Amino acid sequence: MAHISNQEETLKLKNASAAFALLGVSALVLTGCAAAPEAEPTATETASEAPSVDYLACAVSDEGSWNDKSFNESVYDGLTKAQTELGVQIADAESNSAEDFAPNLQAMVDQACDITFAVGFNLVADVNAAAAANPESSFVTIDGWSEGNANLKPVGYAMNQSSYLAGYLAAAYSTTKVVGTYGGMQIDAVTDFMNGFYFGAMAWGKENGKDVKVVGWDPAAATGQFIGDFTPNSGTSKSIAAALINDGADVIFPVGGDQFGAVSEAIKEAGIAGVMIGVDKDVALTSPEYAPYVLTSAEKRMTNAVYDIIAELSAGGAFNGDAYVGTLANGGTGLSPFYDFDSKIDDATKARLAELEAGIIAGEIDPLS
Amino acid sequence: MSNPEARFNQAIKEILSGGLTRTVLSVILGFLVGAMFMIGSNKEFLEGLTYFFSRPQDSLGAAWSVVSDGYGALFKGSIYNAEAEDIVKAFRPLTETLRLGAPLIAAGLGIGLAFRVGLFNIGGTGQLIFGMIFATWVATRIELPIVLHTVVALMAGILGAALMGALVGFLKARTGAHEVILTIMLNYIALYFFTFLMRDPMLLQEERATGNPKADPAAVTAQFPKLFGDEYSLHWGLVIALAAVIVYWWLMERSTIGYRLRMVGFNPDAAKTAGINVNRTYILAMGLSAAFVGVAASNQALGTAIGVTPSSHAGIGFDAITVALLGGSSAPGILLAGLLFGAFKAGAPAMQVIGVSPEVLGIVQGAIVLFIAAPPLIRAIFGLPKPQTTNALIAFRDRLFGKGGAK
Repeated sequence: MAHISNQEETLKLKNASAAFALLGVSALVLTGCAAAPEAEPTATETASEAPSVDYLACAVSDEGSWNDKSFNESVYDGLTKAQTELGVQIADAESNSAEDFAPNLQAMVDQACDITFAVGFNLVADVNAAAAANPESSFVTIDGWSEGNANLKPVGYAMNQSSYLAGYLAAAYSTTKVVGTYGGMQIDAVTDFMNGFYFGAMAWGKENGKDVKVVGWDPAAATGQFIGDFTPNSGTSKSIAAALINDGADVIFPVGGDQFGAVSEAIKEAGIAGVMIGVDKDVALTSPEYAPYVLTSAEKRMTNAVYDIIAELSAGGAFNGDAYVGTLANGGTGLSPFYDFDSKIDDATKARLAELEAGIIAGEIDPLS
Repeated sequence: MSNPEARFNQAIKEILSGGLTRTVLSVILGFLVGAMFMIGSNKEFLEGLTYFFSRPQDSLGAAWSVVSDGYGALFKGSIYNAEAEDIVKAFRPLTETLRLGAPLIAAGLGIGLAFRVGLFNIGGTGQLIFGMIFATWVATRIELPIVLHTVVALMAGILGAALMGALVGFLKARTGAHEVILTIMLNYIALYFFTFLMRDPMLLQEERATGNPKADPAAVTAQFPKLFGDEYSLHWGLVIALAAVIVYWWLMERSTIGYRLRMVGFNPDAAKTAGINVNRTYILAMGLSAAFVGVAASNQALGTAIGVTPSSHAGIGFDAITVALLGGSSAPGILLAGLLFGAFKAGAPAMQVIGVSPEVLGIVQGAIVLFIAAPPLIRAIFGLPKPQTTNALIAFRDRLFGKGGAK
């Protein structure tokens, strides 16, 4: 009996698998029955539609992926924009750990890239080494510096300028008059935001004769709250945000890539009417899921810088190692629109922000005091 | 005695059923699985599928080109770059494979040693980190003349890891706690302890790192010297890893300690009856296992001019488990497996540059180990015979190379 039932089992199994196979095949037939697209358009037509330039632009990411909704992504967007609008070729490599930086840069040299963007302060040692070892290749370091390499162009941002405006706005908007900030890592590229934010908030307090407190960063002592890495929305990040809220902060400025999920969750869980200020990109626009919590963003417009550099070089411009610094004056940095929060910010504050911006551009206001 | 033809057939059967055939087939299958993922994630292939029956060559062409480009880039990034401007640069990928393979080989030996004793050492990461702590401390906080500094730092790295391993062996022997739980948990303790040390300039932190967990770079006197000049980043870590392979082979196959270790691995009860102190052997085995991991730790700490960070362990502790499995815990097997996975690491950037996600290599690596771990599966796929127990193969080999050759 057992033997027979076993046979039946196998038979059933076979039937079942046959049925699945039939299903699979019919699915394939159904999807595969569409007509083939027409033959490719002729060469002259394609040439007029999309430009094509013989120029290879490459980029190596900091730890983390290109889709970090922030720092790395801004650069990558510049690359893809150059690909679609200028017709250059692009190549990229993501770094999973610091060990990947040097091999990834080497891969770009082997690929004969015309220009290689090294994204982030953490790559500064490796990109300088790569630039020194390959004098015939050209590199750009974003947030880094050149150690005397003529073939390495540093791209930096005076982020304290827009962060100053963000801090001023945060203090004006806050009901508790306590605002918080924290960073990914304690590096100049991060603390520059936090310094500007601190002094901007203090400026509002001085002008209005009110006590404003900034928690999470003290520029004088150079101590504050840092996650330790740029892992998006980590548990550490959320607990720091919760601690800042606990200290009374109702406007939070997280400077560490994509931490907006962590902060918005911390705000939701605390049950306060808190908001955050985005960094690097116009967060309310690029990540609409966070928009109800985004007062504004301090943009670091790397997309434009990357695109402009590629546009100039691919059109035949000569490479130079001069530093590019994004400022309020040249539009390299600035505050994003307020969107839904526009009605909640009074006109006096808006007018004062415009004055401050003009003052910083004219050099009358120092965002670091 | 059967006739020669039957004996020859028997020998063929034994080769087919042997571990080597299975390993080679597993590697091939692993690459096939990786190819399937590359094809399945390729846009041109999927677009071609929608009209597959009116023009199949679109899909098939895309499938072929993504696989050949992907594995072509792997070759270019890990062995030989035919597009390089000179021969020195063309061979750089091969030296990168050797550089990245060296720590995998050393750590693989460590994990393999534990396997031979019947222990599952998942604590490679934690032991590696402790080794890095010791090696980095000697390399950054002590001043010694060149060569001596490297040797002392290397020994410190081995000692640091070995202590961590021996601790696990001790806890297992003393309390009966399982080594898998102990090693996994100690991985976390080690990682966060390391990060703590790197946050204080009084301890290991670099002066200008300002709050970041990053250690000082190893002193120039302590760094592994480059093996073939500045053109390649390959350093003496490779030589040390190869020496470790020889030590491992001698230790396991020729020494009395190795005999004792293997005996406990085969059957702890029998070993106990035969008068071997099994608990002491566990401590010794975990210590020795971690000592080999410590060689990899020194490689990570002393093989670079840039200071270590919490991610400097680079997942070697876990990759070493797959290396040991693929290499069958034997010295030559681990050497080859370590080089294969080193090639994966070296080739990943080149694959990424042409737009093939390097995660495919992780899938290949996992699939290979999966097939290795399931011998009946491989036998079923290829219709191989079951493992044979006669000594026909040995007799056949003797006839070819041995006594038969004399006449």
